[in-house]
Amino acid sequence: MSLSKQLIQKLISITGSTHAYTDLQEQISFLEEPRNKFFGKTPLVLQPGCTGEVAAILRLANENNIGVVPQGGNTGLTGGQVPDNTNTQVILNLSRMNKIRDINPQNNSVTAEAGVVLATLQATAEEVDRLFPLSLGSQGSCQIGGNLSTNAGGTSVLAYGNTRDLVLGIEVVLANGTIINQLGTLRKDNTGYDLKHLFIGAEGTLGIITAATLKLYPRPKSIYTAFVGLDNPDKALKFFNIAKNDAGSMLTAFELLPVIGLEFSLRHLDGSRDPLTCKHPWYVLLELSISTGSVDGALLIESIFERAFAQDLLNDAVLAGSIEQSRQFWALRHGLSEVQRAEGGSIKHDISVAVSDIPEFLERALKAVEKAIPDCRPCPFGHMGDGNLHFNISQPVEADKAEFLARWEEINSLVHNIVIEMNGSISAEHGIGQLKREILKQAKDPASLRLMHILKKSLDPNGIMNPGKVL
Amino acid sequence: MKILVPVKRVIDFNVKVRVKSDGSGVELANVKMSMNPFDEISIEEAIRLKESGKATEIVVVSIGPQQAQETLRTGLAMGADRGILIKTDQTIEPLAVAKILKAVVEEEKPELVILGKQAIDDDCNQTGQMLSAMLGWSQGTFASNIDVGEGTLDVTREVDGGLETVQIKLPAIVTTDLRLNEPRYASLPNIMKAKRKPIDVKLAEDFGVDLTPRLTVLGTVEPPVRKAGVIVNSVKELVSKLRDEAGVL
Repeated sequence: MSLSKQLIQKLISITGSTHAYTDLQEQISFLEEPRNKFFGKTPLVLQPGCTGEVAAILRLANENNIGVVPQGGNTGLTGGQVPDNTNTQVILNLSRMNKIRDINPQNNSVTAEAGVVLATLQATAEEVDRLFPLSLGSQGSCQIGGNLSTNAGGTSVLAYGNTRDLVLGIEVVLANGTIINQLGTLRKDNTGYDLKHLFIGAEGTLGIITAATLKLYPRPKSIYTAFVGLDNPDKALKFFNIAKNDAGSMLTAFELLPVIGLEFSLRHLDGSRDPLTCKHPWYVLLELSISTGSVDGALLIESIFERAFAQDLLNDAVLAGSIEQSRQFWALRHGLSEVQRAEGGSIKHDISVAVSDIPEFLERALKAVEKAIPDCRPCPFGHMGDGNLHFNISQPVEADKAEFLARWEEINSLVHNIVIEMNGSISAEHGIGQLKREILKQAKDPASLRLMHILKKSLDPNGIMNPGKVL
Repeated sequence: MKILVPVKRVIDFNVKVRVKSDGSGVELANVKMSMNPFDEISIEEAIRLKESGKATEIVVVSIGPQQAQETLRTGLAMGADRGILIKTDQTIEPLAVAKILKAVVEEEKPELVILGKQAIDDDCNQTGQMLSAMLGWSQGTFASNIDVGEGTLDVTREVDGGLETVQIKLPAIVTTDLRLNEPRYASLPNIMKAKRKPIDVKLAEDFGVDLTPRLTVLGTVEPPVRKAGVIVNSVKELVSKLRDEAGVL
């Protein structure tokens, strides 16, 4: 439903006019999304300052059947955080709710509002000598609310799990304005349905998460970061198993990247350099985090590499000697999303399969896309240790960008069919948003989809919560 | 030509340094330690001289606790040939360091000593110059380029007004600046090989040098915390704040 001037004024009066934007120029940063795939319009962007204001906005929107699009740092990759182009949906941006309400190192927990930037939360934990492990490329801008709503993954899932696994409790506002406060700091609580998990990963379609109590961990005493050159994903898999078996939960990252990914990073990242003396077809970025004094990390990493070299799995490897060198390795990996943009169009996938199926998936999917677009430049990279790859394909050099991107759906279905055949997931960590709504219908079994619709209907009968997303 | 490279184990450059609760110094427990970045540059330069056939042997030396051996291993993994650990658990000031290094130089007889221009923990920037004076050797400090000639070195120095190139006679002391080179990463195969490279362990007390610090630390305090800024809504408000609150107008 379109918004009357009167209703817009009422909504603005909730946050005050300094925190409401109706002018397109002021709205741009809320409307443009990182992949420039979706161009929405909105009559109004609101930035509430507290949970009460969020509740008041939703109550009013619900009474008037107005769609509300919750938004955090606007870094989502599936268009879940931006409105459609009907100019009828209000953006509710949570950036102003950026307080750390409580931090308790004794209980290893922190309660943060939805708008706290991930990097800020990491730094806050560090100040009390704790670790908040969630870590992803956009951590300087993305916000906790968005991380929760998309159940974000990132580079530390291997040891600490997805965002969902880091949550003790949440505060959420329902479509009708009801505030559900479940900000418990309990590690054990079997009192009925675990409601928080309904809202985590729901992409704002069931309610708006306004705060969360999150788990903290001991800060690693020492971190070992290695950058490894090897021949193929099969060897990477064998290397992964050696590292996982030897290091157990101390193996905190195992990232795979192809030589073209490294070349993109070296070409477009200022001050970057190749860690190894010559090129190799594939690379692994491995990290061990040692949090106890009784383990000799240097011995551990040497024994892992000794075995891997003895089995002829690796061509070369370097170990960071300082935090700065470790950052340089990570920059090559974290920069990948950004540097692909400089190489023209890129058709993207965010898939997962069983870790042991990664080599087979890569072989099949690479063959399929190279047959469809012979000169395309596949750049599949990601969290090999989680079985999650960003199977991205850059356009052929000097090809027409628009023409290449026009084949997005075709290439998607080629790749997704292989994923579905291998019992994988078509969205491992980015969510569904607008981008994968149609594919979800094919990928998810009908009974599960029906149950999702029932839940949606009962929590949001008027369909005002992030309309047009997920379902 | 044999090159001696002294290296120091320091708090990692990226660690946020915290003051001990009793103010007696900075917190070192569970803090990431690394090689002083300027010393990494020194080793890299020595390795490059060896790779280009201008040097024959690289000896790394460190004065510090047992763990300084890890720093030496890093140097050996990068490409140095052998190490000398001079053990001590006390704080050693530049003068004593220079005296110990003088003894090491007399024993090892290198033609060139390459040191970092300063260590990033105490920022003294003294050891190289003191060592040069004690040995009566020429010195080229703050080097951003080194060219080896016949019995001489051309050292490009980073000075206030720009760059200055001096020619100095060997044997010599060179202290390195940031732009001299970009140190290589230690490769794992080399880290493993480095375990077989020899490290001589000696005790600092055995050098007959007075190690007693000449400076007394009165206290250690955190830098003052900067107050958060405020956003003003108008020029008028800005002016009034500058005049009435900040008192700068």
